[in-house]
Amino acid sequence: MTATLQPTREFAVVGKRVLRVDGFEKVTGLGKYVADISLPGMLIGKVLRSPLPHARIVRIDTSRARRVPGVRAVVTAEDTPKRYWGAFIKDQPILAIDKVRYVGEEVAAVAALTEEGAEEALALIEVEYEELPAYFDPEEALAEGAILIHEDKPGNIALVIDVERGNVDEAFARADLVVEDTFKSTLQWHAAIEPIGTVAEYSPSGKLTVYMPTQTLFMARHRMAWALNMREGDIRIIQPWVGGGFGGKSCDDNNAMICALLAIKSGRPVKLINTREEEFLAGSRPRVPFKTFCRMGFRKDGTILAKQIDMIADNGAYSGKAPAITGVAALRHDTLYKYTNVKTRARLVYTNKIPTGAFRGFGNPSAEWAVEQVIDMAAHELGIDPLEIIRKNAAEPGYVSPHGNRVISCELKQCVDIVERLMDWKQKRVNKRPYRGLGVAATVHVSGKRHFGDYDGGSAVIKVNEDGKAMIWCGEGEIGQGAMTALCQIAAEELGVPFTDVEISRADTDLSTYCHGAYASRLTYIAGNAVREAARAMKEQILQLAAEMLEAAPEDLEIKDGRIFVKGSPEGAKSTTVREVAHARLFRRGGAPLVASGSFDPDSVLQDATRYGNESGAYNFACQAAEVEVDPETGKVTVLNYVVAADCGTVIFRQGAEGQVEGAIAQGLGYTLTEGLLLDNGRPVNPNFSDYRIPTAADMPPLKREFADSYEPTGPFGAKGLGELPMDPFAAVIGNAIFDACGVRIKTLPITAEKVFWALREKERREAEGGGTPPAG
Amino acid sequence: MKRTIEFTVNGDAYRLEVEPNRRLIDVLRDDLGLTGTKEGCSIGVCGACTVQVNGEMISSCLMLAVNANGCDITTIEGLARDGQLHPLQRAFIEYGGFQCGICTPGQIMAAKALLDHNPRPTREEVVEWMTGNLCRCTGYYKIIESIMAVVEQGATV
Repeated sequence: MTATLQPTREFAVVGKRVLRVDGFEKVTGLGKYVADISLPGMLIGKVLRSPLPHARIVRIDTSRARRVPGVRAVVTAEDTPKRYWGAFIKDQPILAIDKVRYVGEEVAAVAALTEEGAEEALALIEVEYEELPAYFDPEEALAEGAILIHEDKPGNIALVIDVERGNVDEAFARADLVVEDTFKSTLQWHAAIEPIGTVAEYSPSGKLTVYMPTQTLFMARHRMAWALNMREGDIRIIQPWVGGGFGGKSCDDNNAMICALLAIKSGRPVKLINTREEEFLAGSRPRVPFKTFCRMGFRKDGTILAKQIDMIADNGAYSGKAPAITGVAALRHDTLYKYTNVKTRARLVYTNKIPTGAFRGFGNPSAEWAVEQVIDMAAHELGIDPLEIIRKNAAEPGYVSPHGNRVISCELKQCVDIVERLMDWKQKRVNKRPYRGLGVAATVHVSGKRHFGDYDGGSAVIKVNEDGKAMIWCGEGEIGQGAMTALCQIAAEELGVPFTDVEISRADTDLSTYCHGAYASRLTYIAGNAVREAARAMKEQILQLAAEMLEAAPEDLEIKDGRIFVKGSPEGAKSTTVREVAHARLFRRGGAPLVASGSFDPDSVLQDATRYGNESGAYNFACQAAEVEVDPETGKVTVLNYVVAADCGTVIFRQGAEGQVEGAIAQGLGYTLTEGLLLDNGRPVNPNFSDYRIPTAADMPPLKREFADSYEPTGPFGAKGLGELPMDPFAAVIGNAIFDACGVRIKTLPITAEKVFWALREKERREAEGGGTPPAG
Repeated sequence: MKRTIEFTVNGDAYRLEVEPNRRLIDVLRDDLGLTGTKEGCSIGVCGACTVQVNGEMISSCLMLAVNANGCDITTIEGLARDGQLHPLQRAFIEYGGFQCGICTPGQIMAAKALLDHNPRPTREEVVEWMTGNLCRCTGYYKIIESIMAVVEQGATV
């Protein structure tokens, strides 16, 4: 098996140092983000939002607002096709229909010549509400007698997952050790420095042009077409530079819908940009919080025999991506270790909060926060090094998970070795110091996930200009992760031209072929393969033409650094160049430009009704470890050292890959220690960057990171996905390290100093009473 | 009641009529078309709108335009000279000190303000100074590395 997991040749561009293709625009301030776009005659849009978490709308009166000078459009649900929309469950209106279900929900919107005019009009819209009981905890919404948030969703349940593979009860019965506990994770906002916004323009011809920083252009187009009752082709979505995505700009919110509606109604271009507060209230859909009960059975030697989890997921008021996230949280982990007996029950429950959704990790960080801590608890009880228990159970090449995920390349064990070395794990365990501890956890992620229309593919078109320079048209887009650069490297490698001879267009639904976009860590793998296919087709055309020019057989030719020559021919032998071929192909009677397309859909399977099916073309693995110090007086946790080993196959764009790891660590740090929702009767009380604390430069721990020597045969030049992977296990790593440091286990995120402080006091109290009870948190 | 103000931005002199409640960031972006200065939080926390006013580092979302009357302002657009990038701009590209790029003008302007005052800061001083500029993509590692590269090269800033 391992023999096939090796590259077959040296690379000229892949893995080599290149400069990002978007650098110059971004460091000079010349790059245009959506807020920087101004169109002639453009109006400013503003949204009226629900002040209540749950209420019936008795009456809306917009007549006074319409009379404000300069107001060109005032819209409510009556101005929409009243179609509910959503990625998996169509339950969200563009503007509230009859009812509001969370604080911040969009009720009405205006477009005016000036921001002041728009705000004045908003203040004059009268809405009469009849308040209803509201639920902020899924368990309250599940309670018997709870009123329904959506009348057609009995029990306030959006989705139930109930899966058993193998025989869990039998396996628990023969386990030497059974460990169980319950863990809670929390909402986390993407907090991209750029809030969501849109500029939309509507032509009387029926064409709607939308500038929006979405990570999934074609899916945004599809959802807009549905919600606005238009044809996909009548909507053009153009991606400006995207100021941070992380899942939050996947078009699950209403900003673009409302902006489009205002543009259609006013006949003028409209700009609608969320304020930072709006971004927290109703912008990007924050991470789905889970309450997870986890029970696991082990042999004495640490072998996992069974896992049972029961999860309650907080959907918020509308569904968005949360149904798929719940599926990932419930099942993905079973691809990480060699499981045979697993049982999962998960319920996704409506509450009167902001709809939750896709955030880097997509359910994995919440699940691993629980499962990877239970495994650590078992290691401590069994007296096994936590690193060894990972090593013992780790997935290997050829592993098929109980749910049908087929692992091809897998270097998880190598990742464990790397972590052990980078952390100086053995030495530090021997020289354990008080209130210092080590924690470790592992993770698995996908490289694309088959959901939508039983298609997880990507496509690209390449043209070679008359000067020999290649241009890639690709609709996957760039959200800052460096995808454009990696795709240019892949094309240059396949074509045999210098990196600087390849360019890539910005994503635009009118100019590029269908692409799902940036989610599920799929671009390097899926789009990379599509671009490589397009480049391969282009290369064939070029070699065919070059063969005529050089009077040789195409299969005998090679392209290197843009020069085309007979393989093995001596220096100075007859040759031509890509430039000469492109020029000669075009400028002649019957000439034509060089253009080729490529497409790739991985060998994955849409999960069946029992959620069985190989969800992705390739799986990425990582192991991470932390050394922390806990201040016994204050409970403050300091991460002294952090190490990451990631198996993402061949590293195409190293600087970008490093950046993905580094950024994920920062988001993981925030998720684990400082970020979280504070609510007052459904209204977030920390909807700003002053009270919602994301890490600063001074908060970052010393970091060592290394990529495993790995090769994925189905990936472009051996590559797999990476973006989400390093985010997944972070919270569990820190939770485990805190336990190792001071013997308390915190079970709710975020791990604030206060929680650690009280857990330490409780532990001291129990020890003083002489009780041998296990530490609680 | 509009007021007349005069200031220079990136060496260009302007005379403008502005409402007294308008923020400097809005005048820069909307009136002068200098959209390189970004708005991230609107409360002076994230640093995306960082500019230099008379050499001092300022959050332009917190300053009224009228208060900049008579001042010399530098924005990200003023850094590249004669088609040559500023050393910090070059370093941010070279060392990958950005991803999505929305905070990058602010990061570079903040770093420039530091190096203008203290061309040889320690890594700790750089980290401390840069805590006023949030970034959600990079984890800051490559931002600090980019700035330190300029410090270590001793490039004229």
